[in-house]
Amino acid sequence: MNRIEEHPILGEPQKGREVTFTFDGKEMKGCEGEPIAMALKANGVMIHRYTKKEHKPRGIFCAIGRCTDCVMVVNGKLNVRTCITPLEEGMVVQTQDGVTAKGA
Amino acid sequence: MKRYEVIIVGAGPSGLSAAIEAAKRGIKTIVFDENEKPGGQLFKQIHKFFGSKKHHAKIRGFKIGEELLKEADEAGVEVVLNATVIGLYADKEVVVRRGDEVSHYKGDTVIVATGAAENMVTFPGWTLPGVIGAGAAQTMMNLHGIKPGKKILMLGSGNVGLVVSFQLLQAGCEVAALVDAAPKIGGYGVHASKVARTGVPFYLSHTITKAHGEDHVTGVTISKVDEHFSPIEGTEKYFDVDTICMAVGLSPMSQLLKMSGCQMEDNPKKGGQVPITDEYGETSVPGLFAAGDVSGIEEASSAMIEGRMAGVCVAEYLGYCTEEEKEQILAELKEDLESLRQGMFAPANRGKEITETEEGIAVSKNLLQHGFLTEKEVEKYPGVVHKVGVHPVMECTQNIPCNPCQDACPRGCITIGENITYLPIVADGSKCSGCGMCVASCSGQAIFLVDEDCGDGSATVTVPYEFFPIPEEGSKGFGLSRNGEKLCEATVVSVKSVAAYDHTNLLTMRVPKEYAMAARFFKAG
Ligand SMILES: Cc1cc2nc3c(=O)[nH]c(=O)nc-3n(C[C@H](O)[C@H](O)[C@H](O)COP(=O)(O)OP(=O)(O)OC[C@H]3O[C@@H](n4cnc5c(N)ncnc54)[C@H](O)[C@@H]3O)c2cc1C
Ligand code: SF4
Ligand code: SF4
Ligand code: FES
Repeated sequence: MNRIEEHPILGEPQKGREVTFTFDGKEMKGCEGEPIAMALKANGVMIHRYTKKEHKPRGIFCAIGRCTDCVMVVNGKLNVRTCITPLEEGMVVQTQDGVTAKGA
Repeated sequence: MKRYEVIIVGAGPSGLSAAIEAAKRGIKTIVFDENEKPGGQLFKQIHKFFGSKKHHAKIRGFKIGEELLKEADEAGVEVVLNATVIGLYADKEVVVRRGDEVSHYKGDTVIVATGAAENMVTFPGWTLPGVIGAGAAQTMMNLHGIKPGKKILMLGSGNVGLVVSFQLLQAGCEVAALVDAAPKIGGYGVHASKVARTGVPFYLSHTITKAHGEDHVTGVTISKVDEHFSPIEGTEKYFDVDTICMAVGLSPMSQLLKMSGCQMEDNPKKGGQVPITDEYGETSVPGLFAAGDVSGIEEASSAMIEGRMAGVCVAEYLGYCTEEEKEQILAELKEDLESLRQGMFAPANRGKEITETEEGIAVSKNLLQHGFLTEKEVEKYPGVVHKVGVHPVMECTQNIPCNPCQDACPRGCITIGENITYLPIVADGSKCSGCGMCVASCSGQAIFLVDEDCGDGSATVTVPYEFFPIPEEGSKGFGLSRNGEKLCEATVVSVKSVAAYDHTNLLTMRVPKEYAMAARFFKAG
């Protein structure tokens, strides 16, 4: 499990209610309002996208919306920075392959 | 175009402090921040701060952040979030992007408090998922409750690398090693020691030569470097890790200032490109100020003072306070700031080799290279004395601006002296009650309570303990040395935690008396 259950200084993390979303068609659970990237990390997902030219994998790097390594296709929209976009119930999240969704 | 008397870019500790000074004088103030929450770096910092009472010493960073937000709210500061400033011109026109919308504002004065960006280093495999910045690690674990990885290698031994390594351990991750190409640890010795005593090995004069893995990090190879920082063949070491964390320095985010046309300089002591300012942060453009890390990499404590300085200067510039009032406040703030800029790690000492403390004691080489003091070295420092009964042992051996230990002791056992950077000493003739306040107040977790001889062949050692699970009273385990090696069997006598300790538990263990001055951490067996 990648979630911290209880922290020695911060106590129990304050989280939103549990919601369901899909990642490349697979159903996953996360907490409402947390960045999509955090929900993916909690589910063990490392690869967010593949670069266009060399098809190299990328994942979370800065976690504050600056590096664009974590962009994905969210609800059909390309280039969404998942580290700063809050998770919502029913979101459709897809690995981005260059400038399309994976498998598209 | 909407007009404001002062526009502040960045709602970190410096921007908010500036805003408070301006708004409480009735100035029409607006703060833009690109984040969805205000507070900048402060909310990711969960350790107790250094400094003195005036600098919020011994209070955890995120608590200081909460206080600052409350003060800003009371002063009526208007903070606009998710608002990125993308343009700044010499006539103090500010261009702000919110979502897809771009708007223009005009300020009578502008304070830029954009903070810093993390540096990176490259090596084969550095773009693999699993290679992250130290800031990202902090964001994941301290803001979102997510472990950045199971087993992590940290690159960088400055305060950020040291503090984040400790935070990773607190979050329940394993830290495989702490690596730095420099021959010496860059951050505070006390920060290094609290990591070393948990058993994390330090590899100085080493660098990463390869991150392994196809789709994500599965391991890392480090190599020793020569004096030109080139890897030496045949010295490779492999670590089985899933995450590599980089903490290789910060650079001021000064692009907006550059765009405005104010005079800039390249100053390595300040961390890179910074605006040329007077001592209160005014740039070459009248009414345009810079405060906090953007004007030189320092700390949150100094950023808050610099922010207040800029806020007061703006107030006088706009006619909201008299020149005398301004001078008086600035003089006080300047004194606070100067006291933070003292000691071995002062900005003026960056890059200098320091071999002796202000007291004339040789600096520990072992501390600088391996993160811990040897048993022999520790005896040289004035905080380490031998007494009958319970007494404090302060393994604080570098001149840093810090004194909460002195304020904490109700019995006057600890003194720092008139200079905040002096090493703590055990006051003559003082009688320790064993209350533990000094241990819990020490920002560096460098104070231990020791009863060297309990009369039955055992000794007790009390250590600060900020980890879960908390060992149970009576449970057995091992006493670890200052570098985390198993020394002896140890039994937990008690684990005390009261509100005044603020989440620093005091774990007292019983060890054979010959280990009284050697055992500094407990590991459940
Ligand atoms: C791991 C770690 C440990 C630390 N430990 C300590 C410590 O023990 N004691 C101590 O005193 N300090 C410590 N510091 C340093 C301290 O966090 C910083 O020095 C301090 O936060 C600087 O404050 P600031 O206001 O200048 O910048 P920041 O806190 O970085 O705030 C800048 C703000 O500006 C915003 N911003 C930037 N660009 C724009 C833009 N274009 N438009 C809109 N908004 C923008 C950002 O979103 C951010 O909120 C530590 C730092 C780290 C990383
Ligand atoms: S344990 Fe209490 S009495 Fe003893 S030195 Fe520390 S603060 Fe003072
Ligand atoms: S011993 Fe005193 S001066 Fe040293 S780190 Fe602890 S509180 Fe600060
Ligand atoms: S991880 Fe850098 S933008 Fe999301």
